[in-house]
Amino acid sequence: MRNLAAALSGALFGTGLLLSGMTDTTKVQGWLDVFGDWDPTLAFVMGGAMLPMAIAWRFAARREVSALGTPFPPRNRSGVTAKLVTGSVLFGAGWALAGLCPGPALASLGFGGVNGAVFLIAMLAAMVAAPKASRWLDRLTAPKGSTMDIRALTPTYAVSPQIDPEDLPAIKAAGYTTVIDNRPDGEIPPHLHTEVMEDAAKALGLTFVANPVIGGAMTPENVATQRAAIEAASGPVFAYCASGNRSSVVWAVAHAGLRPADELIGIPARFGYQLEHLRPLLEAAPKG
Amino acid sequence: MQIDWLYGLIGGLCIGTAAALYLLVNGRIMGASGILGDVVDGSAGRSLAEKASFLAALIATPAALVWVFGGGQTHATGNWAVLVVAGALVGLGTRMANGCTSGHGVCGISRLSLRGIVATVFYILAGGLVMALARHGLGLI
Repeated sequence: MRNLAAALSGALFGTGLLLSGMTDTTKVQGWLDVFGDWDPTLAFVMGGAMLPMAIAWRFAARREVSALGTPFPPRNRSGVTAKLVTGSVLFGAGWALAGLCPGPALASLGFGGVNGAVFLIAMLAAMVAAPKASRWLDRLTAPKGSTMDIRALTPTYAVSPQIDPEDLPAIKAAGYTTVIDNRPDGEIPPHLHTEVMEDAAKALGLTFVANPVIGGAMTPENVATQRAAIEAASGPVFAYCASGNRSSVVWAVAHAGLRPADELIGIPARFGYQLEHLRPLLEAAPKG
Repeated sequence: MQIDWLYGLIGGLCIGTAAALYLLVNGRIMGASGILGDVVDGSAGRSLAEKASFLAALIATPAALVWVFGGGQTHATGNWAVLVVAGALVGLGTRMANGCTSGHGVCGISRLSLRGIVATVFYILAGGLVMALARHGLGLI
């Protein structure tokens, strides 16, 4: 049923793109070309598309879940970020150059010939590489001298492999206010022990929370402690363990029911953390 | 040529209805870049089947319509360097910004989402600027 509805939506989307002329690159480029022979069509397409969707949002606002029982997508609360603006500018530039965006590029694949396929292949390759490029950009803009790999799952929660006390100034400079240590001392040499990290963090004015998670044996107390630390934080939270995996798992379980399971699994997956085995647990959690 | 806007409006209504259906039945945002990106980079998880169904129908339906009724000129440039650069910019940009014309434009603005509105303003501004530069400045496209 889900697949059928999705296919119906895809079919309607494709028909609309074809009918409206959006698979014709001259119409898109004509709309963007305000200094040339301006073509107003795209404005009618956007207006026409927003109308049913605005009604759908009003309808969705009055209920909890979709017809098939999926919670409606929550608003993205991260606000306007540099990444949103940079990404949109890059997208707009490419959109103008070829006259294609992702929807029409797919819709015209069957009849667009080899030129359309070249565009699509380049786009797919960039989509796969995007998380890496994005992380590289993060590292480039991070304070000098740091070799850290801050993996921001959300704008307010990041995970990382084991850090060194010397990394703490850069973490503070990146805007984090709370550091959570999810690695038991038994795994690491003394100079990285909780006590050392705690002293170094507190000296910088960071809030430090020790919440050691034993690999494969996370306890409900671990989850409660993580949740409480995140809720009590005055700013973004930075959590670390050996690889960042445990810090991701405990975050996902702490947010079960508060965010869709797809997000709790999909976001860490972008950084290489596989949480699919937690799906039954994440989906079983009562909403809200 | 005069009735292009009418086709645009009718096509737009189809697109909006498709997005409304995907929201109200499947409970998801109909964003082409998000759906495609999740499928190719493996972050779709269990929603893989429905996302793949959406993509298959999105590709097959216009292809079938063009096959039966003809038409379907894309007028895409034959300059592969431009296509590759444009494709890479669109792929990278939409993943970084978390959306494209359908996700931020159609679904975001109709929800009065600030992120959707800001993204749309920036990609249209960038698009207009690059268009002016590439067509009227450099004569590239």
